[in-house]
Amino acid sequence: MSSLLLAVLLAAQAPPADEILRRAQGAVLGETAAYTLRMTVARPGKTERVVEMKGWKKGDDLGLVRYTSPPRERGTAYLRNAGSTWLYLPSAEKVVRVGAKQNFGGGDFSNGDIFRLSLTKDYVATLAAEETVDGQATWKLELKARDRSVAYDRIVYWVRTDGTFFPVRADYYTLSGRRLKWLTMGEVAKIGGRTRPTELAMESALETGARTVMRFLTIEDGPKLDDRLFTPSALEKGE
Amino acid sequence: MTPLFAIAFRNLLRARRRTLLSGGTMVLGSAALVLGNGLSDGIARQLTRSLVAVQTGHLQVVARAQDFQPQNSPFDAYSQERLHGAEALARRIETEGKSAGVVRAVPYLYGRGTAIAGNRTSLASVVGIVSTREPELQAAHPVEAGTFLPEGDDLAVFIAAPMARKLRLGVGDSVSFVVQTPQGAVNSLDAIVCGIFRKGAPWQENTFYVSLSAAQSLFDWPGDATNVKITLADGSASFARKLRPRVLHMAAGGPAPEAKTVLRVETFEEAGRFSFSIIQANQTALAILSSFLFAAAAVGIVNALLMSVHERTREIGTVRALGMRRKTVVRMFVLEGLALGVVSAVAGVALGGAAVLYYGWRGIPMNTITLAWIAGGDHLFPVLSAANVARAATAIAALSTLAAIYPARVASRLEPREALHHV
Repeated sequence: MSSLLLAVLLAAQAPPADEILRRAQGAVLGETAAYTLRMTVARPGKTERVVEMKGWKKGDDLGLVRYTSPPRERGTAYLRNAGSTWLYLPSAEKVVRVGAKQNFGGGDFSNGDIFRLSLTKDYVATLAAEETVDGQATWKLELKARDRSVAYDRIVYWVRTDGTFFPVRADYYTLSGRRLKWLTMGEVAKIGGRTRPTELAMESALETGARTVMRFLTIEDGPKLDDRLFTPSALEKGE
Repeated sequence: MTPLFAIAFRNLLRARRRTLLSGGTMVLGSAALVLGNGLSDGIARQLTRSLVAVQTGHLQVVARAQDFQPQNSPFDAYSQERLHGAEALARRIETEGKSAGVVRAVPYLYGRGTAIAGNRTSLASVVGIVSTREPELQAAHPVEAGTFLPEGDDLAVFIAAPMARKLRLGVGDSVSFVVQTPQGAVNSLDAIVCGIFRKGAPWQENTFYVSLSAAQSLFDWPGDATNVKITLADGSASFARKLRPRVLHMAAGGPAPEAKTVLRVETFEEAGRFSFSIIQANQTALAILSSFLFAAAAVGIVNALLMSVHERTREIGTVRALGMRRKTVVRMFVLEGLALGVVSAVAGVALGGAAVLYYGWRGIPMNTITLAWIAGGDHLFPVLSAANVARAATAIAALSTLAAIYPARVASRLEPREALHHV
């Protein structure tokens, strides 16, 4: 009864959960974007691995990321097109198909996290509570996968209530209900003409001390991108 | 014939050094043949036993993709496709096939994922089994610490020693598995190590055994599996082939396979092509090596007997002058070859047999990855079989006898008059 009352009260004050989710999802990158970012992979007892990359995205279905440094990995590229993810390894001069669960660039993000996951399409959102996370007032959304083909069965998602709709944190759960990893989104800064979170940090709940940080260096919103950029043959040709 | 045998033996003893040299070649040849066969049979036994006990049984029911192409890898035996109603199917095959020679039919579920312990990770082959119904698998994985997978414990995991070392796991430690279910979702299982088994075939190092129900829940396939492993009373490949149509008929009565897959009943030879290609390669290599050994031994025998003919030219002339017929001369030399062959074969198989028994008891360490893959384990235990001993002995004796024919014919062609004048 009390939870029903809470839901009614929240619903009265807050925008619908779907709307919060839609606005939060576009807070970092818009529908179409070109960007550069630095990914830092930290593992306990090991030297941090730093990779810089250039990326392009067009809607939820087309995406391309190409490594620009370090020199020995330069040219390595990931492509998302027509429901598949492809990896190009310049040393092998080969394009191979990779799974959504495989990690992206040896870090804690999976290929699915980078390219596949569309929260608005794949999940049903409900507003669960209002909570303070890292000093920020947030809406806590419960996202339930629409079917069993979606990577994470459940996601708990916190979005700022201050009108910015900036996502603050996301906890990812497996089918069995185990928290698998969590993402924190911070370092709000003006980049590419608008203010947004510029740092995404994914931490594993299973692998102690494993953490991957993606920091956007530049973002260009709404560039004109040709669909031919997102094909396996273009991946092989390079820039 | 008996006096001729006596003469043959006496002649062999007359030139002891030569007899020892040519006989020694054959002793070593037959010993090498017995040892080589023992190694080859040892490899075949290890690979076949491991395959049958761990992966395929004598027959297995699987669903395969219509365009399935085996990769000649040990993992080909595991199916990647969902076998609907596998538990019920296994029960039916066991009940209905009992009179036909089916001892046991058990389902298992194979899938891949990641094992995580602390900050260590590894690729994992997760196999869900019905532990109480897997006596062969249990025997193939001797427990090094802890216990085999207990019945009904969905949190227990039984792992290989190399993996335990890699993930720094001991009995009682926890390990998590993260997998992508065949439908696409990410799922996890937290388990406690109940036991550690001594490494068998190298491709089993990444295997983690959990209960079938835990694996079904992990891969989100309730009630289903990937393989049904059937153990037969007669473990021969021919019996498995004979029983296959009947098992296929039983399997066809179950739920229809998923789209783009077909239901198949495979014998262990078909399912374990990888193992059998290793066995075949070993047998081919052994055949080539044996033929070289035989050729070398044959040259030695021909040479020794030709020398004997040369040295005994005057003697042959005398016996021919006294009325011995050419045929009898041929027989005398051929018997000499046979006598040499029989004695060498007996000594050779005794030597080779002793070596096989010794290494069969002690095991030959397979210290490199390649050797371990070829032998299907980190030790190779050669096998001594009566058939191999008999085959090697017969082959050497026959070779020696046949190799004596040419020198015997040379001896028989000597004219008594010329032979008597030979210096």
